[in-house]
Amino acid sequence: MLGIFFIGAIVISLLIFLVNRRGLTTVLSYVFLASEMGISIYAALNINTVDTRYYSFDALGVLFMMVLAILSIATFYHSRLYLIRHSFTRRQESIYYAALIMLIAAMTSAYFAENIALMWVSIEATTLFVSVLIIHERTKEAIEASWKYLFISSVGVALAFMGILFLSIVATKGGLSDLSLRNLLTIAQEMDTNWLKIAFLLVITGFSAKMGLFPLHTVAVDAHTVAPPPISAFISTTLMNVGFIGIFRVFTIIAQTEVLQWAQHVLLIAGILSIAMSAIQLLRIRHFKRMFAFSSLEHMGLVAIGLAIGGMGYYAAILQIVFHSFAKSSLFYQIGQVHSIYKSYWVKDIGKYFKVNPAGGFALLFAFISITAMPPSGLFISELILIKAMFAGGYAVIAIIILLLLTVVIFVFGKHLFSLLYGETDSTVNVSKIKLNPYETISQYVLLGLVVYLGVAPPAYFTDLVHQAIAILN
Amino acid sequence: MDYILIILYAVSLVYFAVAERMSKFVVILSMQGFILFGVVFFSLNEIEIFDFVFILTETILVKAMLIPWFMNRVRKHNQLKRVHEPYIPVFYSIIIVILSLGASFLLSNNLQNAQLHTKFFTVALASVMFGIYFIVVHRNIFSHVVGYLIIENGIFLFSLAVGSQMPLMVNLAVLLDVVMGVLVLGIFINRIGDTFHSVEIKNLSELKD
Repeated sequence: MLGIFFIGAIVISLLIFLVNRRGLTTVLSYVFLASEMGISIYAALNINTVDTRYYSFDALGVLFMMVLAILSIATFYHSRLYLIRHSFTRRQESIYYAALIMLIAAMTSAYFAENIALMWVSIEATTLFVSVLIIHERTKEAIEASWKYLFISSVGVALAFMGILFLSIVATKGGLSDLSLRNLLTIAQEMDTNWLKIAFLLVITGFSAKMGLFPLHTVAVDAHTVAPPPISAFISTTLMNVGFIGIFRVFTIIAQTEVLQWAQHVLLIAGILSIAMSAIQLLRIRHFKRMFAFSSLEHMGLVAIGLAIGGMGYYAAILQIVFHSFAKSSLFYQIGQVHSIYKSYWVKDIGKYFKVNPAGGFALLFAFISITAMPPSGLFISELILIKAMFAGGYAVIAIIILLLLTVVIFVFGKHLFSLLYGETDSTVNVSKIKLNPYETISQYVLLGLVVYLGVAPPAYFTDLVHQAIAILN
Repeated sequence: MDYILIILYAVSLVYFAVAERMSKFVVILSMQGFILFGVVFFSLNEIEIFDFVFILTETILVKAMLIPWFMNRVRKHNQLKRVHEPYIPVFYSIIIVILSLGASFLLSNNLQNAQLHTKFFTVALASVMFGIYFIVVHRNIFSHVVGYLIIENGIFLFSLAVGSQMPLMVNLAVLLDVVMGVLVLGIFINRIGDTFHSVEIKNLSELKD
């Protein structure tokens, strides 16, 4: 089934690019979204089965696919609004949609790839398509950010490929020559620990550019800052999940060996440094999208710490990454609406937003509560579980340091977002007369509502999926 | 024979350190493509027709012809001739490439692993290290892509060193990804050259906090 989906995505993408008609693009986009929803439902119904030889519908893949399907609908909707409000050529629009469809297909492939090398191929493909989307506005900043993202990600992902090749040394030693995840897990305990360590270091370094984790997080931050807002929303959530799944797959192999504790220390260091970098940089930030981008770095740091702590930490890590996807995308969609009024993302240019657009202002307030993990946000639940697991696991000092750093993040977020909602603006700023339809904000209320619902009263199916996803680690 | 080719590959790395003309970079990349074909060809015990066609496509067609041809077009489009003042003088670069070869030789000889072909591993590691060094010391993005391709060639040798046997479909997908990556990087260089009227990295420093 996935094979048909990928062929369909390529055909739709090519048709949009070649025919270049707005009507056809709209129809084909609906067809693609419907087929993507169909695939996520099909995957959920056929969980733990193999598909198209190199793919498998595992619990984590299904969970991320559902997040992707939901955010794809919102992203297509906000992309449409974004493209209508800017005067792009028809050619630019068709390139935008064609690249977006191929990006979604590549992400789907990365989520479900059962062969580690195929997962690498999919992750590398996401880099190519996303760079086309980052450069969309053709400004000097967009060119700079997309070049940096493309180049650093390519070098990083090439290093990750070296890590995968080292995994194949250990796999061959165990009497196996293919890199299917299922087989690698069965021979994990016979693997050479030194090669496993090198492989893990290379994989975490390489995929950190995709996950937006320390050390290669800078390119992701730049990309989220200059990409069109619907794309920033998409790549700071679902694409980061792709980076996470790359690291997670190799981590599951490591978890079967005696290298586990060492790998967890590596993740702990990466996580702490990510949160520290985020807190330090946020103190200097004067640009809203850059602030959200550094907040993603902080959340990915928490996810890495969740894996490092183990036990309940694993559960918290998966919850955190899912809830972050919904909350962060809402912020980016809303800042796109803010930009259509103020024509700026700079803190000094924006104020009294509540008065200008009450529906959007309320969504932003709700998103602030969600992303800073205040109750009733689901992120409050995940971070509470994580901090509790840290205290229980003997990481009390680190937990206190993390809490102090998170306080800095909340302070900066509060300061700038409240200035946006209620503060005075520079009188020279020309506020556009565009009146936003309150219905445009519905998608954000739905996504933020999901963060509360899945956190406070999660349905049994959702918690089962999370438990299944981490079952292999416990 | 494969030892001679591996030594030739190591020499090509030294040549990269010495070269100051961008056109030379492209020529050396093409040479490396041919050398890699020879390395694979002489190291195979038995040849299956599909594998042979794939290797021929990957090394000769892509690495020795298609990518150098495309890189040359990019070079001409941006009128790139000489490397202007790398961060580190050529003399030191030669010493560094020789040191990296020596270090990887010593490291490889100390590795005890029956699955590892150390003859390939030595030069593969040196190639990856030198590729990263090449990116760091050059000030223009064209040379950075050349550095990336040196790393890619090193990784190709790594795959020989570890005797990796991935399914053909996966191998094809990896190759397609790398080719597409280089094509997109090349198009971006042209776009940067047209917008900033230069491919110097100093132009790309607007985004900061």
